[in-house]
Amino acid sequence: MSVTISPVYLFNVERGQPEAAELWDAITDQQLADWEAEWIPELFKALQKLRRAGVERKHWPQSRHWDWRRKAAALQGILAHQGFSVMCNGLTQGMMFVDTTTKRCRVESQKSKNLVYVKFVENAPWNRKELLFDPPRYRGIGSILMRAAVELSHSIGFKGRVGLHSLPQSNGFYANACGMTDLGVDPDPDYSPMRYFEMTSEQAVAFVEKGGKS
Amino acid sequence: MSLSKRTMTLNLTDAEMQVLEELCARKDLSKTALLRQALRLYQIVETRLEKGDKLFFEDDKKEKAEVMML
Repeated sequence: MSVTISPVYLFNVERGQPEAAELWDAITDQQLADWEAEWIPELFKALQKLRRAGVERKHWPQSRHWDWRRKAAALQGILAHQGFSVMCNGLTQGMMFVDTTTKRCRVESQKSKNLVYVKFVENAPWNRKELLFDPPRYRGIGSILMRAAVELSHSIGFKGRVGLHSLPQSNGFYANACGMTDLGVDPDPDYSPMRYFEMTSEQAVAFVEKGGKS
Repeated sequence: MSLSKRTMTLNLTDAEMQVLEELCARKDLSKTALLRQALRLYQIVETRLEKGDKLFFEDDKKEKAEVMML
């Protein structure tokens, strides 16, 4: 598999300064090994902290069940599903799979047009405040991955259009940092109670112009 | 992000070209973008059918009709 690696920067919260990182247009064995050996143990520790802090199970992150190795195996070789990852300090800091084929736009002004649908996106546990990593180690991963989705959308002729279903803890990020349109809770039982967000071509331009930053 | 690309020449009948142009206008896509999209979709359908899945269309009354793929 040929992988294109682009230089990006994350914000190192502890040092209070940017740190050189890489955006990969793939999810390879290296990222999956990080997920198994680094993410999962940290996630279990975080769940233990949540439980001991008395946080109700319904407020634990839904993505705790995600099996990235299984997802990668299922989507391997399928042109419609592309993976992305962010690497920094020798470790995977975030991963994303997108679907470029099976979903269509819902916002009236671009209804039924093609878009890049963000199927799965997740930060490493140590970058997530909701897992009680406070402060998180790095910031900016979500923005870099969203920017990658927008750029992919442009490169395949979809003019920056992007859509996704948001986990509750991320609603504010997509509405405010990304400037996406919130179409509310999806009535489809496969997605409910997740909210559906969509980025129009104009919103994609605005997001990129402000530097894709939160 | 820069993926290397290879070029091919595609010969279409007038009817096929007309459909292609109509779809491009309706979907707001270039010919290349539309054909690449069609390839992605075709691969998904074939992969699912090879696994034994079936392809259905559903109308607004939730009536399902299987699409026969030969």
